[in-house]
Amino acid sequence: MTATLTSIREKARSGEPLSLEDGVALYRHPNLLEVGALANEVRERLHGDRTFFNRNLHINATNVCEASCAFCSFARLQPGDAGAYTMSLEEAWGKLRARIDGGDPITEIHIVNGLHPGLPFDYYTDLLSGLKRIQPGIHLKAFTAVEIFYFAKKFGLSIEEVLQKLRAAGLDSLPGGGAEIFAPRVRKKICDDKCTADEWLEVHRVAHRIGLRSNCTMLYGHIESVEERVDHMLRLRALQDETGGFQTFIPLAFHPDGNALMKLPGPTGVEDLRTYAVARLLLHNIPHLKAYWIMLGVKTAQTALWFGADDLDGTVQEEKIYHMAGAETPQVMRPAEIVRIIVNAGRAPVERDTLYNVLAEGAALTSDKPFRRDVRRSLEVVS
Amino acid sequence: MSSKKIRIAAVSFLNARPITYGLERSCDAANDDRFELSFDLPSRCAERLAAGEIDLGLVPTAAYATSAHELRIVPGIAIAGFGSVRTVLLVGEVPWTEMREIALDGASRSSAMLLQLLCRERGLEPRFREVPHAQVLDAVRGTTGALVIGDAGFAAATRFPHVQDLGAAWHETTGLPFVYAVWAGRPDVVDGEAVARLQASLDDGLAARPLIARAWSEAHGGDPALYESYLTHSIRYRLGAEELSGMAAFFARAHGAGLIPRAIRPRLFEGAAPTSALANRSRGGMEGPRSVDALLADAAAGGRLSPEDAMRVYLEAPALELGAAADQRRQMLHPDGVVTYIIDRNVNYTNVCVTRCKFCNFYRPPTHKTEGYVLSRDELARKFQETVDLGGVQILLQGGLNPNLPLTWYEDLFRWMKASFPLAIHGLSPEEVRYIAEIENMSIRAVVERLIAAGLDSIPGGGAEILDDEIRHAISPLKCTTDTWLEVMRQAHALGLRTTATMVFGFGEEPRHLVGHLEKLRALQDQTAGFTAFICWPFQAEGTRLKLHDDTTAMRYLRIFALSRLYLDNFPGLQVSWPTMGPEVGQVGLRFGGNDFGSAMIEENVVSQAGAVFKLGAADIERYIRAAGFEPRRRNMRYERLAAA
Repeated sequence: MTATLTSIREKARSGEPLSLEDGVALYRHPNLLEVGALANEVRERLHGDRTFFNRNLHINATNVCEASCAFCSFARLQPGDAGAYTMSLEEAWGKLRARIDGGDPITEIHIVNGLHPGLPFDYYTDLLSGLKRIQPGIHLKAFTAVEIFYFAKKFGLSIEEVLQKLRAAGLDSLPGGGAEIFAPRVRKKICDDKCTADEWLEVHRVAHRIGLRSNCTMLYGHIESVEERVDHMLRLRALQDETGGFQTFIPLAFHPDGNALMKLPGPTGVEDLRTYAVARLLLHNIPHLKAYWIMLGVKTAQTALWFGADDLDGTVQEEKIYHMAGAETPQVMRPAEIVRIIVNAGRAPVERDTLYNVLAEGAALTSDKPFRRDVRRSLEVVS
Repeated sequence: MSSKKIRIAAVSFLNARPITYGLERSCDAANDDRFELSFDLPSRCAERLAAGEIDLGLVPTAAYATSAHELRIVPGIAIAGFGSVRTVLLVGEVPWTEMREIALDGASRSSAMLLQLLCRERGLEPRFREVPHAQVLDAVRGTTGALVIGDAGFAAATRFPHVQDLGAAWHETTGLPFVYAVWAGRPDVVDGEAVARLQASLDDGLAARPLIARAWSEAHGGDPALYESYLTHSIRYRLGAEELSGMAAFFARAHGAGLIPRAIRPRLFEGAAPTSALANRSRGGMEGPRSVDALLADAAAGGRLSPEDAMRVYLEAPALELGAAADQRRQMLHPDGVVTYIIDRNVNYTNVCVTRCKFCNFYRPPTHKTEGYVLSRDELARKFQETVDLGGVQILLQGGLNPNLPLTWYEDLFRWMKASFPLAIHGLSPEEVRYIAEIENMSIRAVVERLIAAGLDSIPGGGAEILDDEIRHAISPLKCTTDTWLEVMRQAHALGLRTTATMVFGFGEEPRHLVGHLEKLRALQDQTAGFTAFICWPFQAEGTRLKLHDDTTAMRYLRIFALSRLYLDNFPGLQVSWPTMGPEVGQVGLRFGGNDFGSAMIEENVVSQAGAVFKLGAADIERYIRAAGFEPRRRNMRYERLAAA
């Protein structure tokens, strides 16, 4: 095993792509911290201590969904089902207005919904254009590849036509959700109604081709094998070699409450950190690795900043998908709190926009009056 | 390491056979290219090592302690005992206390020193006379007893009317294992590969114990079943954290009694440490003999950090390298990959408290009309029975400083508990003990003695917060001072109780306060070896009167935890605090130096009232331990492992 890690280390240092066997060996290596340290080396080579976050808002406009994925606690099959909801456009727009009126400005809205059988295409374009009317500079990161593919089928359009129409209405980039695990064995069991791996990848390929950036994800810790995780990441890496359009990879830990896979325990902390480290090492061509605090928990997300992660996502607010699956994390973190967590981890906070343009860093972030004293002390303590 | 052969001398006693079993076969069979093996008496092994005739010897621990040269110990291998050992016996025609003279077996060093120490600690002053190994039993007559070691003990045990097993006597006094012999040599004589060979030899020998017993019986007579049971149950071959604690306690007590000229502690071979991420660092700029890298590598291998070194490590070491060093140290102390946990219940018998600490959400002052409580016997009985029913083995019994509860209340409670439930009492933090002494106008020692007589098994290390009077005064002005906290623990250890130690951080203290706290614990542990484990956690501020904005994040916890593993080189256990950090970070702590997952807690009032809400059952705890790559085992408070339930 040690010999394997030595050869993997050499490859990682010289920038040579790791193989499926390397990925599996990293997962199986007995020393978590050695794997973590190697991932950290790559992370520091790419980003130094810089750790990114943004100010954002989540809108999950409807949880009515034709698909019945086994891991999902969010979706309701029919509009009338208990707990089912669909926001009116005014309601959805109101979320943004509330943030602006509350003196809590944001730079991004993340929109992910169920596959609602009854909503017209206009609902989605109007949703986007209405948000842009309220705040013209806002970045709209909306609709997973699964939704895009659903729209194409449902409304008789090509993937490119769907994307072009949405872009015309205000779409700026795609979030990375819906990838789950690409292996057909797993997809058949947990999300048989969803688009296939090739269809998911095709949506992102087209998006990248027409100039949209996107993210990518992997849902881990349910029934998939280590080999299937590595295979998933390698398929993402192959598309990235082709297009270069992915910005960030986000491993998503499976949460077991309230869904058909409730009997599974879900991944533990060391498995989360291991997955982050392996991802950082395998996905050498995807610039960023996001520790999504909503689902990892703030404490584990902070720790992941030493296991390859360089991004904590954003301030969020109103997250529904993970909280309906039992996530006990807060619904929102103030920017000062995010900055504090990053500084206390011995890292340098950077506020970014969706496309990783730097909006603020250094003293600009840590000069908040009530906050400064803590950060100074933390800096003394953590170095 | 050159290709020169390592000259080693082992002992020919039965109890050493498993250690050399594998080596003998390879040395005989194929002209071994690493080792040249010979056999001698324990005392002779030490002499030959001192004379430079051999490189590595299976030497008495007393010889290690008195060696003129600095020696190192091969990790993981010892001849040790936990209680009665059957081959280290004081025999005579009269009881121990009436012996005027004791003949010492000339082959022995450790046992002779142990006997002298136990005599002094009991106020006995017999004359000691050394006689050759073969003649020791002939010396027994009248008030002359004899110390018999090795295989002669089997026969001697039934020949004399008065027989005292010294292993049992040591265990009764300290609660610790006793280490009789270890592989020791000069600091550079073995490398990791040689250590692995020695460990493999023992593994072969442990598997072959029935064979060894039969062969011994054929060659020397006697019952093979007796020999096998001796090798399996009486002798412990593992040199783990508890054994190292036992060695440290022996050295400290012997030094205190003037039997060892200088203070010494067990140090392991550094070359034996597994390679780690440390060697692969690519950060430049920190060259020189005492770089942070060097400090980490030294501490990982069992070297002692000075307070100044610890400050540098804490402030400068990258997080994962600090963690990896602590992980490596944990691996040396707990080489079998087991992580323990306990099933117990935290019962807070009263919330009435005079101390009014600013960080506490739990207490009610004695003047409070409605919310103060003292649990009734009925309530206690229900909680205790539920604990027994759920597989619990212990009650963690703590409460406020209640002026209405005299010492007799506790004595009655303990006696009733012991008579009614099969539960250990891990109870009364130093603060409570001190308070009872105060209201009863008694000494701390006298209070602890009475509590032990009533059934107290161990003392929890709570209330330490930060052992610095400046900090203590700011957060809990009415609580006991640093010195008092330490004094209660010192007295408890002297009376044979094992205790834990804690630290709560996040009160705005500086790194020097943290290191100072660890230093005070380590210094006391050097003297008593009575601490079983250390537990730290960040202050849980929610809802308390302390408005702090200190760093209590996961990364600070993990750094402090890893530093503690390295600094507290004489503490066997480090427990993660999942109730405050959550199970995820608690689990990660197992890779930052932790070897114990704490308690599958049934009830805890104090921290949960300040916002910590995590709950885990035994099955969850075992899942977290396994997922971190360890084997879970239940334990009791003395960190003895229990059979799987």
